[in-house]
Amino acid sequence: MWQVAPAGDRALLVRLGHAIDPELLGEVLALDSALGNRRPAGLVSTVPAYASLLCYYDPGVTDAARLEASILQLEGHIDAAMSLGSVVDVPTRYDGPDLASVALQTNLTPAGVIEMHAGREYLVYCVGFAPGFTYCGALPDQLSVPRLASPRLRVAAGSIGIAGRQTGVYAVESPGGWNLIGRTTLQLFDPAADPPVRFKPGDRLRFIPTS
Amino acid sequence: MIEVVDAGHWTTVQDRGRPGLERFGIPAGGAADWFAAVVANRIVGNPQDAALLECTAAGPTLRFDADAVAALTGGHSTRAANWQPLRITRGSSLAVGTIAPGLRTYIAVRGGIDVPLVLGSRSFCQRGNFGGGFGRPVQRGDALATGRPGEQEPLSAPWPESHRLPARGPWEVRVIPGPQLNAFPEDALQRLTATACRVTPEIDRMGLRLATPGLRLQPHEIVTMPMTAGAIQVTPSGGLIVLHVDHQSTGGYPAIGTVINADLALLAQARPGDTVRFRSVDQAEAVRAWRRVTGWLEFDL
Repeated sequence: MWQVAPAGDRALLVRLGHAIDPELLGEVLALDSALGNRRPAGLVSTVPAYASLLCYYDPGVTDAARLEASILQLEGHIDAAMSLGSVVDVPTRYDGPDLASVALQTNLTPAGVIEMHAGREYLVYCVGFAPGFTYCGALPDQLSVPRLASPRLRVAAGSIGIAGRQTGVYAVESPGGWNLIGRTTLQLFDPAADPPVRFKPGDRLRFIPTS
Repeated sequence: MIEVVDAGHWTTVQDRGRPGLERFGIPAGGAADWFAAVVANRIVGNPQDAALLECTAAGPTLRFDADAVAALTGGHSTRAANWQPLRITRGSSLAVGTIAPGLRTYIAVRGGIDVPLVLGSRSFCQRGNFGGGFGRPVQRGDALATGRPGEQEPLSAPWPESHRLPARGPWEVRVIPGPQLNAFPEDALQRLTATACRVTPEIDRMGLRLATPGLRLQPHEIVTMPMTAGAIQVTPSGGLIVLHVDHQSTGGYPAIGTVINADLALLAQARPGDTVRFRSVDQAEAVRAWRRVTGWLEFDL
């Protein structure tokens, strides 16, 4: 069952589920593109993330009840099969300041952490928090470590972090609480580009160790 | 050209922001007190989306190398006249000084501040360090160009006091319940609206941290979701963070309520130590609140 709740007076939040799950993400992206095709009156823009979709609307054109009705009409009528694109390689220098501490927490050697992190394909679940920040999953259980007790005030652009079952890439310098294990030279955010970000939800990527 | 003689505490170029890019992690941004910014532009005869300067706590000193018309709105400048057209002669300076009451003063200059558009807006985006002409707040020595004046004439009289938002707290701020209301115990929103929340020193364009003495809300965890400006997030320890215009586009703390758009302008002027009381309203009241304030902008002087 989809749940629709107001997010203030000009947005609705549609929750399709409560888990980090590729199928749910597929459904979110399918709803997003169905709304993009149908363009219900007053819908201004959408923001997908994990298991939900935020829908901004113009209250001068529509209202929460009308937009909710046109969203719920789509339940059971969308094709949730995600179209998989190619896997993007992210060249990664595994020299992050938290690599040793992650190794300690996971009973692995630093080389073992690298092998496990780099040895698989990840799905992009969300671009959010800060411009271009790319949330990916899922990490193997064994690499799951908690966030830092106190976040860093400055994390450099390109830093690659892990937290819980997720790994992510900081696209711009920002504060951050994830365990930093490496860094990439790939530019994930460029305000002059269209689109300004390298990844979108549903993309797949792989971290390639470089020296 | 306008020369920045003194930058003030935190002065940035802002316009109406860049809504619609949240899916890239980019906040809409724009003037934190949208109402004061629109009125400042109106006083000098600019279109509503012209770029202006947003000053925080203490404003800049600017020197003009040509005759200009300017206006200060929002938080009160203690050194210059507020909410009225200011005729500035070539070679003279405008000093904003300390801002009180209120936190943010807007300086509109006829013609608008002309810096390059980045992703459709002239606003400085702190999270991405881009926009605003310099990719940073303005600094001493910066030169700001102004655009060509539009056809609308500046106002000839002060903006009426009856058509301004209050400049000082305590603030009553209206909220729509949710969107994550079901992550909280049943009486949580009622307890929140019965609490006098205190604004802490941890406030910026991204959000305001509020202290809630005696109130301890204990939410369930949620999967990271998209967040809007105005979302009242509750952290696991029961702390309150109200997201503002430069908010993170997604968040992992549930929002018990969301401040209505009209009242985001009030929070932009809240200072540490001020009291905020939330009041739960429905969509119809949010629409009426918006119409009331935007109606003020359409009246004829």
